[in-house]
Amino acid sequence: MSTPRPKLAAVVTTYFKYSHAQHIVDRFLYGYGWRGTHHRPPMDLVSLYVDQVGEGDLSRSRGEQFPSMRICPTIAEALTLGGSKLAVDGVVVVGEHGKYPRNEKGQTEYPRWEFFQQIIKVFKDSQRSVPMFNDKHLSWNWDWAKQMVDTSREMGFAYMAGSSLAVTWRIPSVEMPLGSRVREALCVGYGGVDSYDFHGLETIQCMVERRRGAETGVKWLQAYRGEKFWDALREGRWSRRLMEAALCRSHTLVPTRQSFSDVLPTDDDMRQLVKDPIAYHYEHKDGLLCTMILMNGMVRDFNFAADVEHHRSSSVVYAPLVKDFNFAADIDGRSEPFSTQMYLPMPDGRTTLASFFSPLVNNMEKMFLTGKPTYPVERTLLTTGLVAAGMESLYRQQTRFETPHLAVSYQPTRESTFERS
Amino acid sequence: MLTRREFLQTTAAASGLLLSGADAPPQRLAIIATVYKYLSHAQHIGDRFLVGYPYAGAWHKPAIKVVSLYVDQKPEGDLSGERAQEFGFQVYSTIAEALCCGGKDLAVDAVLIVAEHGDYPRNEKGQILYPRYEFFQQSTEVFTRSGRAVPVYNDKHLSYSFTKAQTMVETSRRLRFPMLGGSSLPVTFRLPELELPLGCEIQEALMVGEGESDAMDFHALEGLQCMVERRKLGESGVRAVQMIEGDAVWKAGEDGRWSRDLLISALSRSDTPLGTGETESRPEDLVTSGQLPKLVANPAAYFIDYRDGLRATLLMLNGALKDFNFAARLKGTPEIQATQFLLTPEPNVTYSACLVHGIEQMFQTRVAPYPIDRTLLVSGILESCLTSKVQNHQRLETPHLKVAYQPPTQSTFCRS
Repeated sequence: MSTPRPKLAAVVTTYFKYSHAQHIVDRFLYGYGWRGTHHRPPMDLVSLYVDQVGEGDLSRSRGEQFPSMRICPTIAEALTLGGSKLAVDGVVVVGEHGKYPRNEKGQTEYPRWEFFQQIIKVFKDSQRSVPMFNDKHLSWNWDWAKQMVDTSREMGFAYMAGSSLAVTWRIPSVEMPLGSRVREALCVGYGGVDSYDFHGLETIQCMVERRRGAETGVKWLQAYRGEKFWDALREGRWSRRLMEAALCRSHTLVPTRQSFSDVLPTDDDMRQLVKDPIAYHYEHKDGLLCTMILMNGMVRDFNFAADVEHHRSSSVVYAPLVKDFNFAADIDGRSEPFSTQMYLPMPDGRTTLASFFSPLVNNMEKMFLTGKPTYPVERTLLTTGLVAAGMESLYRQQTRFETPHLAVSYQPTRESTFERS
Repeated sequence: MLTRREFLQTTAAASGLLLSGADAPPQRLAIIATVYKYLSHAQHIGDRFLVGYPYAGAWHKPAIKVVSLYVDQKPEGDLSGERAQEFGFQVYSTIAEALCCGGKDLAVDAVLIVAEHGDYPRNEKGQILYPRYEFFQQSTEVFTRSGRAVPVYNDKHLSYSFTKAQTMVETSRRLRFPMLGGSSLPVTFRLPELELPLGCEIQEALMVGEGESDAMDFHALEGLQCMVERRKLGESGVRAVQMIEGDAVWKAGEDGRWSRDLLISALSRSDTPLGTGETESRPEDLVTSGQLPKLVANPAAYFIDYRDGLRATLLMLNGALKDFNFAARLKGTPEIQATQFLLTPEPNVTYSACLVHGIEQMFQTRVAPYPIDRTLLVSGILESCLTSKVQNHQRLETPHLKVAYQPPTQSTFCRS
């Protein structure tokens, strides 16, 4: 007896080399390297809707190469395959990249909510709904994002979303123990607001959601940019120790001293390297303080560090001294920072493949096969709200933005679903 | 309260106290290099003893003071004088002077030999004749004369000549000083963090990599060796090697001389496949699609027949990928075990911090974290493969490569 292969529809904004749609849809079409084999997803991507077909478009040539994949002029057709009812078993939405308006707050208005509305209309008309994946944050607009999650609940379909950062390799390969007491956490990454800030926030959230008491939401957020960032750094708004630990996980620290290849930057060095530093500093309802830091010009990777009670590194510098060190740490009552890099093999000259999309696609596959998300969409609902709150705080002259609406509670999965084998 | 860094400095000092019984002054290090310029191995490795390095989530400063430097060549961009001035040490004109800090007897606690890069001739096999043996000999002459020997690290292979390499290892045993050598590949990060179980039965192993011969093939061979040495009964040496090139490599694959399945598996770990990977950034199984021969103009296969019957292959496939990946089939395990040896980007090359960590550990504890015999064997494998290359790619018996050793219980790659 063989299980029928699920049929999938992909609904994307645009499809060119290095676009999210290319990375994701290509993996369904061509397979990808996975756990020591070239894995071919046990499902068929049968239809594709592309909102903007422009220069560099690959969707048409992909359509020619895969005649079994129907290129559709509307989202409805992609879901019904030209019939009157929903004819697929899962939907992949990639609303990233493409030319869309930017609002006065600097948010790109990707039509993820609009795509979602058109998809659930088919669900409703067909009186049947199927699992859906939404790449990156749910929407630039918090109310819409909330509505998207509520709708998925009401209609009872599996819904998953988010960034690759939560599922990619970690160097070292560490998992935040479930029930940890996390006192503070941060991430040092790179990129711009309303894009890579989301990756930094998901980096933090996939770790801290595992803390004792699980997630209950965020009370307020304060953004710092430019001079105010440097003031906040000097005033110790976030832990210097954690920031240093995160930087020590980076593989891409720009050396500030000529002729040196790897040096830890001083504050002056950072100011010299980073012209537009950004931090989102926020407090969870249970008091946990987190800071998402973007330091363009200094690093090109995402590094996480947290102060976790009783955390001890699995290996210290001298093997014969490990016990002594741990012993002293215990007496001292102080923990070492828990830190790791969320590894992005990046095709910006470093690699040719954005292999971090492989674990993302693999998690989607699991949801399409089982009808169950492999991690909660509430994680991404919360980080969606944090991106919007960060943009809001920046828009309001970097003032503290109260976020009573971000009372998002959820339980993490027992095991993290990041890639490690 | 102590910060982690302060604590580590304290514990490092304590280890000095424990070992030497002295008042824990920093250890004194001599660096012996071919050249010291930006992005040379000497700069990457040597600088870490000067400015520290990232390790296990902290910036670690070794309790070691560089007190002297010898550079064999001062090309354009030479940094030796600049570093000496900034960090308060002397550049000496001979190795003996550097080890004695200008005095008559050995005046350092450790020696770091980095003889990679610089302008040196190649022999008929294409080996660059770096003077590693000569540097080592001059160092051990000082040890002998002073009646005291200190730990020595030798970057990369010990010598282009196995005979010379063997003499070096024998000398370290005779004079009883710990010695470490080799590449960063065995100690760098792995994706995933694969460690072959100690005592496993390996049916077949394969490494795939790229780069120029006598530099990158050494790295790849040592990456392969650090994996297979963990097999049942440990390492017993190599019976024969052969290196072939060109279409013969594909033919050998068709004949089952190397495993197509292992290559598919190893390549599945690569983040840098070329071909459609490069043009479209899309994953492709380059073996099954038949693209490999189109991408790789001059493939090379290094066949290693071990004395215990294990057969391992290194494929150097320039044009197919840009990273190093390993695959092996173990008895009793249906899935192929495969991993990528992650070479992190320039200029940081953080993998060299993993290497320096091991070197520092040996300097501090006088115990090498992994056996020099690994590097000795790989030096010999490479030399014999390159001999095969110039002798019509013939299979060569290698009775001299009867190098037996046991691997460390735990691999020493970076994973904390």
